[in-house]
Amino acid sequence: MTFTSRPRPAALRRLAIGWLVMVGAAGLLAPWLPLPFAVGVPDLLHLAEPPAWTTAPRHWLGTDLFGRDVLTELLFGARQVVVLSLPATALAALAGALAGGSAGFWGNRGCRLPLAAWLLGLAGAWWLAVLPGGGHAAAGLLGAAALAGWAAPRLPWVSRAQWPLPLDSLFQAAITLLGAVPRLVLVLTLAAGPPLPMGQLLLLLGAVAWPEPARQVRAQMLQVRTLPFVEAARAVGLSPTQVWLRHALPHACRPLRAVVPLSLAGLIGLETTLAFLGVGRPPDVASWGQLLGMVRQEPSAWWLVASAGGALLLTLLALQQVARSNR
Amino acid sequence: MKRWLLLQIGRAGLAAWATASLVFILSRLLAAGAEEALLGEAPDLQTRTVASSPVARQALQQRLGLDEPVFYVTRTSRDPAAWRWHGPHNQYHRWLAGLLRGQLGWSYRTGQPIGPQLRAAFAYTLPLAVLAAAGATVAALGLGLALASGGPASGGWRAALHLALTSLQGIPVYALALGLLFVFANPDALNLLPAYSLGANPADLTPAAYALQLIMPVLTLVLAVLPELALPLAAALRHELRADYATTARAKGVPAARLLRHHALPNALLPLLTSFANLLPTLLAGTVLVESVFSLPGMGRLLAEAAAAHDYPVVVAGVLVTAGVRLLCLALADVLYALADPRIRLAL
Repeated sequence: MTFTSRPRPAALRRLAIGWLVMVGAAGLLAPWLPLPFAVGVPDLLHLAEPPAWTTAPRHWLGTDLFGRDVLTELLFGARQVVVLSLPATALAALAGALAGGSAGFWGNRGCRLPLAAWLLGLAGAWWLAVLPGGGHAAAGLLGAAALAGWAAPRLPWVSRAQWPLPLDSLFQAAITLLGAVPRLVLVLTLAAGPPLPMGQLLLLLGAVAWPEPARQVRAQMLQVRTLPFVEAARAVGLSPTQVWLRHALPHACRPLRAVVPLSLAGLIGLETTLAFLGVGRPPDVASWGQLLGMVRQEPSAWWLVASAGGALLLTLLALQQVARSNR
Repeated sequence: MKRWLLLQIGRAGLAAWATASLVFILSRLLAAGAEEALLGEAPDLQTRTVASSPVARQALQQRLGLDEPVFYVTRTSRDPAAWRWHGPHNQYHRWLAGLLRGQLGWSYRTGQPIGPQLRAAFAYTLPLAVLAAAGATVAALGLGLALASGGPASGGWRAALHLALTSLQGIPVYALALGLLFVFANPDALNLLPAYSLGANPADLTPAAYALQLIMPVLTLVLAVLPELALPLAAALRHELRADYATTARAKGVPAARLLRHHALPNALLPLLTSFANLLPTLLAGTVLVESVFSLPGMGRLLAEAAAAHDYPVVVAGVLVTAGVRLLCLALADVLYALADPRIRLAL
């Protein structure tokens, strides 16, 4: 696009990355920074005061409705970005690359599993779900799987007993099911209630964010798998898994460079939205969304809008800029 | 065509049912604390002490239908873990049977049937969403045409507009709503519009007050969905203007504006039909935040409050309705596709 390339993209990109590094460093180092006010501790003499740079308690960015220092809250809010949104994005990108990559590479017919693998999977499922018979049935299935594995190279009718795993259909079904309800409604439904532990919230955010990267990787993989170098790798005699992992997947992951920053921006938006609604995390965890939400009670608190809104806006714009320059 | 339509609707219904079932079962597994929460909300201390006795707890569980198993089969978690078959006496069966008779269940909090509650909320949200959808469509068409009309290298206000739209793209809905609230309903800035709803019932308001109250929510929703409509439309229009038929039309002497509206626009709109049809469900999700910020008694706020209060029957009903609307809109987009472009054959 010509519009976006006009104001020197390289300089903008450097600016954006600089800001993101700053947010990341603030989030990582927040507990160890020499801040004048402790996090979450209210200064009850100074409730909702504008920034004070000259008078005694120097709240550089003012205080919020409960008297907490806005600068401290802001830095600890950046921590939410680093410890929640960033890992969730990484999780979503990894899951998306693996799911989309395998669905695109093997399709519905490509992944033919021998009898032994099916029996092995069945045994594992049987054991995990504690179906009737429990351990004995699972052991029996395991034995059958071993037998099939042993017999496959020797008996032609066993080696012919292969069924394809419909990877692409499974993938599409999962995406349709997740896409039927808007992301926010889904998260709200499942995260409502008692505050979730960090790990579960992270998994939840990853689970709602993986379809977008997965779709892009799948689309790219459909093109990559027909390219000559993939065919050459097959012709050399590499196993399909090796061709997939070593040769096709790194190329299919190319769109992720532009998608991942946008996913991160989306998840930061989602995380601050949850904090704004007071869902999912305990209310004493500092977040930009919570800080911004206080404007409803105190419409004259311009310093809250300027600090929390500004930090959020700059971060989202920086991520968009990085995504655009990575395209 | 009719058979295809039926198939499409059936598929949409199936997906909505699957989603709602999944949410139902997941929420019931998480709902272990639901009756605790309800007991905790008992209004006065005396009721609370009475209610926390085991007998009262059992009665409460019975009233809420939580004393039955969740699903047809359940796994006992005690040491010899095993599966047990319960037959039709389970919560899921009751819910599904009620659903087939059009009965969505009873709210945990109020004890009222959910249907009328949901209908009243929906009646409030639907005008909001439809107005926003109409506004966003008109604005997106106008902005898309304006952005594309200048050719690729034009600068000035078009570049500024493009930049503004791209910046708007990632901003969360609640931040947009708060921003508007801060600017337009602030005693210290512009105090033009009412910040909060004046009465719970829109029928009590004069039409003028009702309209005034709707301005900011609708504007928020329009701004939230505008970039993802206008920017692809502008890109598609520019792509169409580079095509051979556009060159031919220009050589024939078709004026630029006519070329844009009558030749390029129909072709450029076609790939965007899905995003336009998806507008209503996206807006329904946006109302969760908009109605919370502006205190409007609609569907989104009902859902958010029910989720915060562990009122799972209401949440599941809300998810079912949202999923149904979304899937129907997707089916509608497919139909519109087929009507707009006879080259597309409906795949059975």
